Amino acid sequence: MTSSCRQTVPLLEAFSDEELAPDMLLEVEQHLVDCATCTERVRLNQALRVSMRNAVRNSAPVMPGFEERIAATLRAEAAREEAIDGVVEREARHHHMLSWRSVVPVAAAAALTLVWAASTSTHPTAGQNAYSQAQNADELLEELVDHHMKALGPQVTEPALLSQLEPEVGVPLSLPSLKDYGARWEGGSVVPVSNQHAASLRYMMGGHRVTLYVYNSSRVPIETRLKPRVVRNEPVYVGSRRGVSIAATEHRGVGYAVATDLNADESAELVAAVY
Amino acid sequence: MSRKATISAREFESEALSQLSALLGVASRLTRNTADAQDLVQDSLLKAMRARDQFEAGTNMRAWLLRILTNTFINRYRRGGLERSVLDGPDADPLADGWISASTMEAMRDPESQALRPMLEQEIKRALDELPEEFRLAVVLSDVEELSYKEIADIMGCPIGTVMSRLHRGRRLLKGRLYEHARAIGIVGPEEHVGDTSEKPDPVVDLASYREKRVARS
Repeated sequence: MTSSCRQTVPLLEAFSDEELAPDMLLEVEQHLVDCATCTERVRLNQALRVSMRNAVRNSAPVMPGFEERIAATLRAEAAREEAIDGVVEREARHHHMLSWRSVVPVAAAAALTLVWAASTSTHPTAGQNAYSQAQNADELLEELVDHHMKALGPQVTEPALLSQLEPEVGVPLSLPSLKDYGARWEGGSVVPVSNQHAASLRYMMGGHRVTLYVYNSSRVPIETRLKPRVVRNEPVYVGSRRGVSIAATEHRGVGYAVATDLNADESAELVAAVY
Repeated sequence: MSRKATISAREFESEALSQLSALLGVASRLTRNTADAQDLVQDSLLKAMRARDQFEAGTNMRAWLLRILTNTFINRYRRGGLERSVLDGPDADPLADGWISASTMEAMRDPESQALRPMLEQEIKRALDELPEEFRLAVVLSDVEELSYKEIADIMGCPIGTVMSRLHRGRRLLKGRLYEHARAIGIVGPEEHVGDTSEKPDPVVDLASYREKRVARS
């Protein structure tokens, strides 16, 4: 090893790593022109790097399904974030509502549409009344979302046994199949909403959880905080809370509402298909 | 907390998925176990997603993700820090690379590819896995992930000088191990002493003697 090598060898790694300062770089390059041994050192460093890259990359391939697993984790987190943002937004709306409450009560009342108004005698005529109704409906939607998020074990998993839940819910229960949408029924249970009881029918649809609530529509005024639209000539009310979209409709005094992490259009489509 | 300056969940997902292979490579060499490596990547990406407003736009996303991955690894598997090397202190002999001759080095390389001889390449993963963690991580981040000394220093939470020293020692151990293997399988012959006879080979050039030292210490 020459004295020139003595100076150069300690710099060779940084040289191979392309981290050498420009003035030293020139020095090393100059030395490499004349020194076969140092040139060989640089080549060995390079060979080690290439082989290491091959070895590490080949040793840890991304296995089938792993990418999907990560994507699902990140999407669940995104949904959770949206849910939190939804709460913040809702609270902000509440405050907004308070400040407008005394200013445009009638306009607010007019904007609230009641799908089951005919079956109830509580049609709001005053702003105050409409507001408290809206607030109730807000709490109600929250409850529906809560039940939807909780993966409670079903009380009933046989369609034929659903009728056992009827006394508590107070309306006839039959199982909407939703098979055309690829939904698989997992089970049903009774959940308390707005001091009443609703049947909660849980489906899985291509990795999405769908909760269908069935209840006495005259007692559960859900639609006041949802937006009306028409799906297949039926009025449907849609909205969202905490990243969960909710769509509700009514048929002969029975209320149906779905809560899903699908978009509002899909939820509206589903709920329009349940009876 | 505003998310306006932050990348969206969807953008993050697509960025993260594009780095999956790199993250898994580093995680596998840290944990040395596929299932643990997958869990580590998943945990790290979840943390990164939650902390994504701290990511500075325009900087190296991969380096940022690797920092989170390294910290997650240290917190979960290594309370307090990476497994330390017993080879503390300044380098005893910076000229220790002089122990191996040009012809031997040439014989260890594959004349066709830019890599080592295939028979040596097989040995690399094992040699790498036997390195102390702080050397192994530095070497993987530099040689495989091609990060700069500065980026590695940020990830490992140490000065750049320490990164250089860890890289040097890690690579020297690797080369020593590969040289021993090359000798054992007959790719290279016994080393004639080259150059300055006053030079001594590195006292801890192979892993076997490193282990003996370590055992003696513990």
